Amino acid sequence: MEEHFQHLYQALSHVDGYIYPNEIDLHWGLMIVLYPYITGLVAGAFILASLERVFNVKVLKPTYGLALLTALAFLLVATLPLVSHLQHPLRSYEIFMTPNPTSAMAIFGFVYLWYLMVVLLLEIWFDYRLDFVIWSKKSTGFKKYFYKIITLGINDTDEKSAKLDDKLGYFITVLGIPSAFLLHGYVGFIFGSIKANPWWSSVLMPVIFLFSAMVSGIALVMVIYMVVSWVRKVKIEMPVLDTIAKYLLYILIIDFTLESLDQVHRIYEAEESFDIIKVLVGGKLNITLIYMQVLLGTIIPLFTIGFFQIYKPSEKIRKTCYFLVGIMVLVGIFFMRWNVVIGGQLFSKSLSGFTSFSAVYSGMEGYLMAAVWLLLPLLILAFLLWLMPPWKKISFKVN
Amino acid sequence: MPKVIFRLFSTFVVFVGVFILIQQYLKPDSFGKYGHYRANAINDAKLIPLKYKGEKKCTTCHQDIYDLKYSDLHDAVSCESCHIPKILATDACKINPPKVEGSNEFCGQCHAINAGRLKKGPPQLDFKDHYEKQNCIDCHNSHAPWELKK
Amino acid sequence: MGTEKIKENRRKFFKSSVALLGGTLLYSLLKPFELIAQNKEDAVKEDKANDTLWGMGVDIETCIGCGKCAEACKIENNVPKEPFYFRTWVEQYTVKNNGKVKIESPNGGIGGLKQSVPDKDIFKSFMVPKLCNHCTNAPCVQACPVGATFISPDGVVLVDETYCIGCSYCIQACPYGARFMNPVTKVADKCTFCYHRITKGLEPACVEVCPTNARIFGNLRDKKSKLVKFLQKKQTQVLKPHLNTHSKVFYNGLSSEVK
Repeated sequence: MEEHFQHLYQALSHVDGYIYPNEIDLHWGLMIVLYPYITGLVAGAFILASLERVFNVKVLKPTYGLALLTALAFLLVATLPLVSHLQHPLRSYEIFMTPNPTSAMAIFGFVYLWYLMVVLLLEIWFDYRLDFVIWSKKSTGFKKYFYKIITLGINDTDEKSAKLDDKLGYFITVLGIPSAFLLHGYVGFIFGSIKANPWWSSVLMPVIFLFSAMVSGIALVMVIYMVVSWVRKVKIEMPVLDTIAKYLLYILIIDFTLESLDQVHRIYEAEESFDIIKVLVGGKLNITLIYMQVLLGTIIPLFTIGFFQIYKPSEKIRKTCYFLVGIMVLVGIFFMRWNVVIGGQLFSKSLSGFTSFSAVYSGMEGYLMAAVWLLLPLLILAFLLWLMPPWKKISFKVN
Repeated sequence: MPKVIFRLFSTFVVFVGVFILIQQYLKPDSFGKYGHYRANAINDAKLIPLKYKGEKKCTTCHQDIYDLKYSDLHDAVSCESCHIPKILATDACKINPPKVEGSNEFCGQCHAINAGRLKKGPPQLDFKDHYEKQNCIDCHNSHAPWELKK
Repeated sequence: MGTEKIKENRRKFFKSSVALLGGTLLYSLLKPFELIAQNKEDAVKEDKANDTLWGMGVDIETCIGCGKCAEACKIENNVPKEPFYFRTWVEQYTVKNNGKVKIESPNGGIGGLKQSVPDKDIFKSFMVPKLCNHCTNAPCVQACPVGATFISPDGVVLVDETYCIGCSYCIQACPYGARFMNPVTKVADKCTFCYHRITKGLEPACVEVCPTNARIFGNLRDKKSKLVKFLQKKQTQVLKPHLNTHSKVFYNGLSSEVK
């Protein structure tokens, strides 16, 4: 605790203007930046998968299974930053036992469970069931037992059951789209409904969160597709990549429009909080917002992919650019979450001053913990890809 | 109904059923009585031990000082404003009697000149012009401040 | 073919009129029960109208910024002594001649607020005590995901220390900065109007020690209380009224500079 006080005394000496005495410490730190980021990746990856399944964008078929497994890997890790952040993590079961119907945060447990079990796991199950049955006959050891159990005893391999799987999977995907919107939209509402904080309180907040989530998820699947293909030493199919990039462009345009609208509206109305927010954006958030989120994360990717729609350079150049753009978008959206969560706490609710955020490396809210929570899904994804490789599915060859 | 749908649906129903059972078991007893909270928490809030006794309690032993205070301007100030309790309200005062220094810094909390204090309550002075090097109680009786010792 | 249509229309007409009649009959049968139920609710509401509703008045014209309230609160309620945790604090506003406003609250005002701007630059200056406003429409109570913070039947917003999970959502939701995360108990903490005192007929610690009676505590439903008299005589305002929190802390002499 002494160390914490040391850090607070330092923050006290860096206070700019006036802040309410209780505001010296930022209550929501890196873990709360991570949580929307991870659930956003889940929602976005799922929407990309549903593009193929529900909206029949057939060219994206090679990425369908990959997108679903990516969504699953990240969803499994999604709760962990929250648990790291809670002061009483052992009491977290209370959210399930007595959820407050007026609290946006209380939905979390139920939406998470619903999305994990009814949407994601079921959809993957319906998609892979036939393959599980076939694979269980061909493999040995751990894989064999896993495939056998996971089929839940439904071992039909005929045409009729395959069609039923397909129909049910389609139904679940259709159900999954609004569920994905809810999974990430409520996070935006958690911030958007706080009238006490003018940086957060906005009708657009859930929508902005949702579209930036879709952007990050699509970029993630694009990057993972390229990496996995490179690891497998398989040729990357350019039509797939070009299509993903095209959808990335469309959603980026919408996201950028929404964010710009939010800021233009704020600048135009210039109500009570504008004076301090102007100083915030020009000062403490200058690098993370103007350079990282807007320039690096939105403008450069927008113009690059936009340019490719008019003039397509060679495959090699496109591949490199798509990879770089994907990484840029992922970084940019991370900083978008950062700017919302951290930015909203840097200025005082007295609208008269600023506190400061200092980086911590160790401990439950530190950079190391964040790195663990970001790397863990990639490890889980690698495991899932080993266990249930999408490219080995019967239906994969059919293109 | 196809086997697969039946099995999945029944798994879902069982899951929800088990969840509701666990919820009933783990939810605190008094929850929901007055609203969405544990009603016994109100009682918990009442049981916190008191530190400040309230002026009247001081008179059980210190009636004379209280009367003296009553005769002068510090009657507006509660005993405990200056004599900060260092013990629980239920403990006898003899243990750890709270002492007051009566220094410029201490009395200055109310009496130091401050532009935000003009035209109000206690008389204010700039200690630089008023016996800076001494303690207030060297000259003033703290319980009857206009009674000067010199 | 035409008669078929007419028969069809007649059937429809009969069906809809029977449905309408039946519905009206059913409704008229049920309405008296509804009224009885309503009476019960009204009766309960009336009972509640006689219950205590705690509130506080703050007289800015009287506050001298001595900081004794903030100090007493920390002692009475075991609040950590470090200058980052306050259930109540006092701010000094100094409006300068050039129009700029300086606000300060070093250590919450404990030890007395000291003048920091030379007299010649000061246009006006005053002290403002702050605390939890125990809002009737508290945004913190709305935000709590588990029901650990709540409004008691007598109008005091409390925190259930054994139930709070420490998510800090209530702290984010409070527009007044009244809440903090207690580093010892690791739950959300804030002014409780000294609930353990007021339910025993005593006053909150801050009211007890105020030398100038700048804090007035009482029952908003008691017409004879000091608080109600204060509200009647003075022109009172609440902080951030545009947020519609229905705050129960009323300020006399609240100048427009106050944040």
